[in-house]
Amino acid sequence: MSKTSALLPVIVALPFLASVFTAFFGPRLLRRHSHWPCILATATACVLSCFVLAGVVRSEQPILAGYEEPPPSVRYDFTWMKAGSVDIGYTLRADGLTAIMLLTVTFVATWIAVFSIGYMSHEREHNAGYARFFAEMSLFICSMLGLVLADNFILVYAFWEGVGLCSYLLVGFWFAKPAAAAAARKALLVTRLGDVGFILGILVLWMGFDRPAPLGGPDPSVLNFDVAFRLAPAQDPAILALVCLLFLCGAVGKSAQFPLYVWLPDAMEGPTPVSALIHAATMVTAGVYLIARSMPLFHAAPPYVLMIVASIGAFTAMLAALIALTQPDLKRVLAYSTISQIGYMFLALGSASSGTLVAAAVVAGIFHLVTHAFFKALLFLSAGSVMHAMGNVIDMRRFSGLRYAMPTTHWTFLCGAGALAALPPLSGFWSKDEILGVTLKAGAAEHYPGVYVVLFLMGLLTAGLTAFYTFRAYFKTFWGELRIPPEAGDHAHESPEVMLVPLRVLAVGAVALGFVIQPLTGWFSGLLEHHWANVSFPGQPLPHVVEHGHNWVLMFISSMFGVGGVFVAWFMYVCQPGLPERVVRGMQGLYQMSLNKFHVDEIYYALFAKPLSMMASVFKVFDQYVVDSVVDLVGSVPRMIGMLLRPIQNGLVQFYALAMMLGLTVFLGALVIRMAR
Amino acid sequence: MNGSDVAVSLGGVFSLIVPEILLLVVACVLFVGSTIRANRNLWGGVAVFGLFLAAYALWLTAAKVPTIEARAENGENISTMLFTSSILQTRLSLLVSAIALVGGLVLVLFSWNEVPDQHAGEYHACLLLSVAGLMVTGAANDLITLFLALELISIPTYVLLYLLRHDRAAQEASAKYFLLSIFSSGLLLFGFSYMYGMTGTTNIAALLDALARDPNRLPALALVALVMVVAGMGFKITAVPFHFYAPDVYQGSAPAGAAFLAFMPKAAGFVALLLVLGYTWIGGPVRGLALGPQVPILFLILAALTMCVGNVLAILQDNVKRMLAYSSVAHAGYMLIGLAVAPDLSYSTGKPITGGAEAVLFYLVAYSAMTLGAFAVITLLSTPERPVETVDDLAGLSSSHPGVAILMALFLFSLIGIPLTAGFAGKFLIFFGALAIPADQVQLSEHALWFWRLALIGAVNAAIGAWYYLRIVSAMYLRTPIKPIEQHPSWPGVTAMLICAAVTLGLGVYPWPMVKAARAAILSERSTDARTEPLAKTRND
Repeated sequence: MSKTSALLPVIVALPFLASVFTAFFGPRLLRRHSHWPCILATATACVLSCFVLAGVVRSEQPILAGYEEPPPSVRYDFTWMKAGSVDIGYTLRADGLTAIMLLTVTFVATWIAVFSIGYMSHEREHNAGYARFFAEMSLFICSMLGLVLADNFILVYAFWEGVGLCSYLLVGFWFAKPAAAAAARKALLVTRLGDVGFILGILVLWMGFDRPAPLGGPDPSVLNFDVAFRLAPAQDPAILALVCLLFLCGAVGKSAQFPLYVWLPDAMEGPTPVSALIHAATMVTAGVYLIARSMPLFHAAPPYVLMIVASIGAFTAMLAALIALTQPDLKRVLAYSTISQIGYMFLALGSASSGTLVAAAVVAGIFHLVTHAFFKALLFLSAGSVMHAMGNVIDMRRFSGLRYAMPTTHWTFLCGAGALAALPPLSGFWSKDEILGVTLKAGAAEHYPGVYVVLFLMGLLTAGLTAFYTFRAYFKTFWGELRIPPEAGDHAHESPEVMLVPLRVLAVGAVALGFVIQPLTGWFSGLLEHHWANVSFPGQPLPHVVEHGHNWVLMFISSMFGVGGVFVAWFMYVCQPGLPERVVRGMQGLYQMSLNKFHVDEIYYALFAKPLSMMASVFKVFDQYVVDSVVDLVGSVPRMIGMLLRPIQNGLVQFYALAMMLGLTVFLGALVIRMAR
Repeated sequence: MNGSDVAVSLGGVFSLIVPEILLLVVACVLFVGSTIRANRNLWGGVAVFGLFLAAYALWLTAAKVPTIEARAENGENISTMLFTSSILQTRLSLLVSAIALVGGLVLVLFSWNEVPDQHAGEYHACLLLSVAGLMVTGAANDLITLFLALELISIPTYVLLYLLRHDRAAQEASAKYFLLSIFSSGLLLFGFSYMYGMTGTTNIAALLDALARDPNRLPALALVALVMVVAGMGFKITAVPFHFYAPDVYQGSAPAGAAFLAFMPKAAGFVALLLVLGYTWIGGPVRGLALGPQVPILFLILAALTMCVGNVLAILQDNVKRMLAYSSVAHAGYMLIGLAVAPDLSYSTGKPITGGAEAVLFYLVAYSAMTLGAFAVITLLSTPERPVETVDDLAGLSSSHPGVAILMALFLFSLIGIPLTAGFAGKFLIFFGALAIPADQVQLSEHALWFWRLALIGAVNAAIGAWYYLRIVSAMYLRTPIKPIEQHPSWPGVTAMLICAAVTLGLGVYPWPMVKAARAAILSERSTDARTEPLAKTRND
């Protein structure tokens, strides 16, 4: 085991230990200082991730941990379970993709944790739940780190569920609030729908993959990434398509894509740092990561699978943007913007329809993931800062003109908003440009060119919408006359330094990171190309087509859309504050549709929840009278057998001896007869 | 063989059982000492000291004397030692000794405050004696030694059951156990005598070597011997229909006594079966077939019967100890699956498949940890004024003792087989072992079908099992206490519980090191050719 591979388990273990430590010693021992284990562990993990990145860059092969013999002949050092045809190990892997995810997650999470010290000051003073909050945060981060480090599907699934569990705990952090409890339940149940797909996909992969069997039985190590990827091109396309679509189902649930996005806007009932963590770094990106990681499977599957991925992405991006146009609640706008941006990432990954585009598509998707993590964390934390100052009021109709009351928050929010609106030269511009570029190229490739062109246009239009709704929120919050809701009381002032420092750090990232790592240096695509694409497609090297040149026309058009959106927002909400009213009156129907989120919740309720509950009441009767009696019957069978057998247990020792003797005789007799035959 | 050889081999034998001898010495000190002073803390401390002393001695012996497998791998000629010595240091014996010592420690700790002061010395002495017995069982290489080792476990047990309690129920329980145990020992000896009759030797290695040359052409007597031996051991491992004593005795004796019965005889019985039937012996063509090809069938029937009867009767019980007695029967059934499957698993060449005999050893450890833990909880909460007898007595435990309740829930979840507990890992190994019989080999295709069915029966039984364990969990967490428990657990008991919990969780989260140890104890890398040729020479002497 090389030095770097020894770091991989440490990165997962650190937040886990912090979580356990905080859970056990936090309430009694650490109290007001319960944040230290979480922050120290995450920051250390961040430093170690840098070493891992350095190791990845140095080595030609991915860094593996937990193997006795690395794939393709797999033997595990740290076997979790091996019996029959199942063979699963605690194996970790770091390649370019993992290293990027690790750095993003740990860096953003560290600053979110620092921010939480200030944001959760109320809990801190009253010592209620402060330790619980940081224990759950650490566990959340640990699950996400494990998810990106895992080197087999079962381990990915285990951490995947861990992420789901922690999101449930954290969204429902204020569980005494009914809305929070309901949101937590909704988040868990909706993502569970996706999870079922994911585990089914793993099962199909395990059962359905043809593999060279050593001994008649199936090769136990097919759940290992490298083995599965190596075998993928030789599989039955139908099986592969099924596996990929089931994985997509899991990704759609976790990453809040249509039709399973409805949990995410409600999930902001949790504390704002949790929203930042979920939206930026730890949860919704898991689905994107899963698809990027399984790209060798998706690539080998029939092309319509990737087309579906891209279509879901583009459709979700547009739908969420339309909903975000009218939301009065600042955090809700941001939540829908997340759904929309994750949609862009799906669009990018789905554009990998031909071999020459795979690397470019993944680079674009993951690049957007990274920049989005920065600016979305920044926006949520800034919104949290506003919320903190406004006494937990987040409705944009009730405050405005905070530009002078909260100067730092104003500037950081502006940086984040600019990046989200994809204004050049901020981070978001470059990554969105890459996505639109790769989609356009897919429109010229051999599979489904028409579809991809339409998707490209949807993406372009959504870019304009994004700029509009982002700056609508910005102008409504920070411009106009100063209004402060009464809940804010006397502390409607700028947040403390402990909250502002993370904002400034993330703002720098949101402004400059995108430009530095990709267009300026080409470092990002180089890393993914050499240390992910080259090693993830064993036996079928990809053509190297990541062009570092820029499509200037496209850049100009997309920046026009962005600037146009901002200008419209400025015109409507700053120059002509009466105009939105008139527009709304003019387009009452459309406005109401968007405000009510296209009634998707209600449609789901009418389509699924209502019939289900009606079915449930029918089934209840059926259950009570038919199933219950059957179950009672089945359940009573063992009981009845038991009743029959019970008298034999009569407590008489001579009978027991006789029974033993009889048993002996029967066995002897039976075996003698069998042998004599 | 001349006199000096005997002396050397005797000396060698004594150097191998130093830990056991130390345990006996400490036991004698306890017996004598308890007539002078009656103090449970003092004698409990001495017993713990004795166990640590033995562990240290075991450590030294293990470091100094190479195991027989290590010798064989080094290319030494081991046949003389194998075919003459009555005690061998094998990887299995080291593993069993470690299990015995840890189990003994747990038992001493959690009966610490349960024994009356005046009997503490004698009680702990008996406990140490049976620990020594279990250790010798693992190392025995001779039918006589094996029998003596098993009796060294049984005889102190009779005393031990009686020492904890003097009421009529306990008297009845220990008398029942005494009578039926003697009866089963008789069956076992009967079987051993046939084995001696067939081969003319009591040395297990030599005996297996003689029998295993051609398992398909064994004398019919082998069958009788097989059934007798399995019947005799069946009593110890509570296999149906030799299980009848278990519910009555568990219920009648104190919880510590019941825990002892769930661990010590069961472990000894399974280890002895592995030894006598040649599961650890790879001399023959197929492991575990020393007494004929009927072995898998016999164990298959026993396993199915044992699982079903145990679980079905456990459902009906309200008394927790009686329920755990039937659960102990049911778990013996799961372990028997491993014994049934092991011979066929060893057919498959190439990539070795895990399951079978090593799964039995693993399950044994897992089961011991979780059942000792459950009994420890009951022991700790019981007082003479308010014994914990029925499920109702545990109602509302989560509010009065949240920590204890969570540990109890852990043990029960492990008994059910919830993932990330030892019980899940054990069931996983056992069931997947049964499903992994390669069906495409002609001689196995019929068996494969049978083992599929057996695994199915096992799964159904696991589901039935969940029902009665969950009843206790729901009583602890969902009901209000009927009569609040005042008892506060003492530190030795808590320590015992924590050891059990650590093993239960540890084996669930990361079972592989234990599986590997069990595997190493069962499958050694000895070559078969190096061994048979010198045997003829020994015989000619």
